Amino acid sequence: MIDPKHIGYRTTPTVLAVDSWRVKLFCKAIGENDPVYWDIDTAQSAGLPACPVPPTYLKAIEGDHCTSADLLQVLGIPVKGVLHAEQSFTYFSQVYVGDVVEISREIVDIYEKKSGAYNFVVVDSHFKVKDKVAATNKQVILIRNKVAA
Amino acid sequence: MKSQADFPATLTQTYGPVSAIDLALYAAASGDHNALHLDEQVASEVGFEKPVVHGMLNMAFVARMLSSHFGVRAITHLHTRFTGIALRGQTLQFQAKLEQVIDQVAYYQLSVTNETGASVIEGLAHIKRLT
Repeated sequence: MIDPKHIGYRTTPTVLAVDSWRVKLFCKAIGENDPVYWDIDTAQSAGLPACPVPPTYLKAIEGDHCTSADLLQVLGIPVKGVLHAEQSFTYFSQVYVGDVVEISREIVDIYEKKSGAYNFVVVDSHFKVKDKVAATNKQVILIRNKVAA
Repeated sequence: MKSQADFPATLTQTYGPVSAIDLALYAAASGDHNALHLDEQVASEVGFEKPVVHGMLNMAFVARMLSSHFGVRAITHLHTRFTGIALRGQTLQFQAKLEQVIDQVAYYQLSVTNETGASVIEGLAHIKRLT
């Protein structure tokens, strides 16, 4: 069992700029061919102020702030035997290339199933642009204790 | 009904076979360097015959299917449960199925299956109408 004292653990927020090259690399990696994400003229022709980031891109810059592997280290859990069980995103405003994003993460729940064979850790992330929450996400991490041992 | 017209009943997409290069590129772009996705030895040690496709890569493919059709700003919520595993070399099927439209927001049920027909992702998307 993971000590529930870690519920409420929060990272110190850090700020990151959304770089064009990274968004382009991410698009290449996910098979995204729409130049709206890296060509400013295409974005502006589409009525956008700048190139938007793809919906799940926030997970990539979240890792620059603090990866889930980093969080597992705080909990004293080896990454072996760990699986990603659930992920959600809620979007309040679009994030664009050039934005400066403030990111923080918080462990909001820890629980077990199957008589302790499986542990679950729930982590919320907040993404702020100009002091307003642009998006949030929630990750559920599954730790298979037999595999981790 | 006119208000339903912008929201098709289903969207589908196929992707694959997912290659070693796809997984290496996603590891580099996302910062998720977990060897489970890259190294056969590590994958086999934890019970998988081949490296496992990042759940977030599958989710990115689902999101891409939605943003290509509706525009990236139309997506207000995405939720996926990683119900199973996709392995390197597999071809994946993606589907979004319209459940209902409430107050100009469409609710799509999401699913991803691997080539054995097993479920990889189940989820939900909220799509708003862009004005």
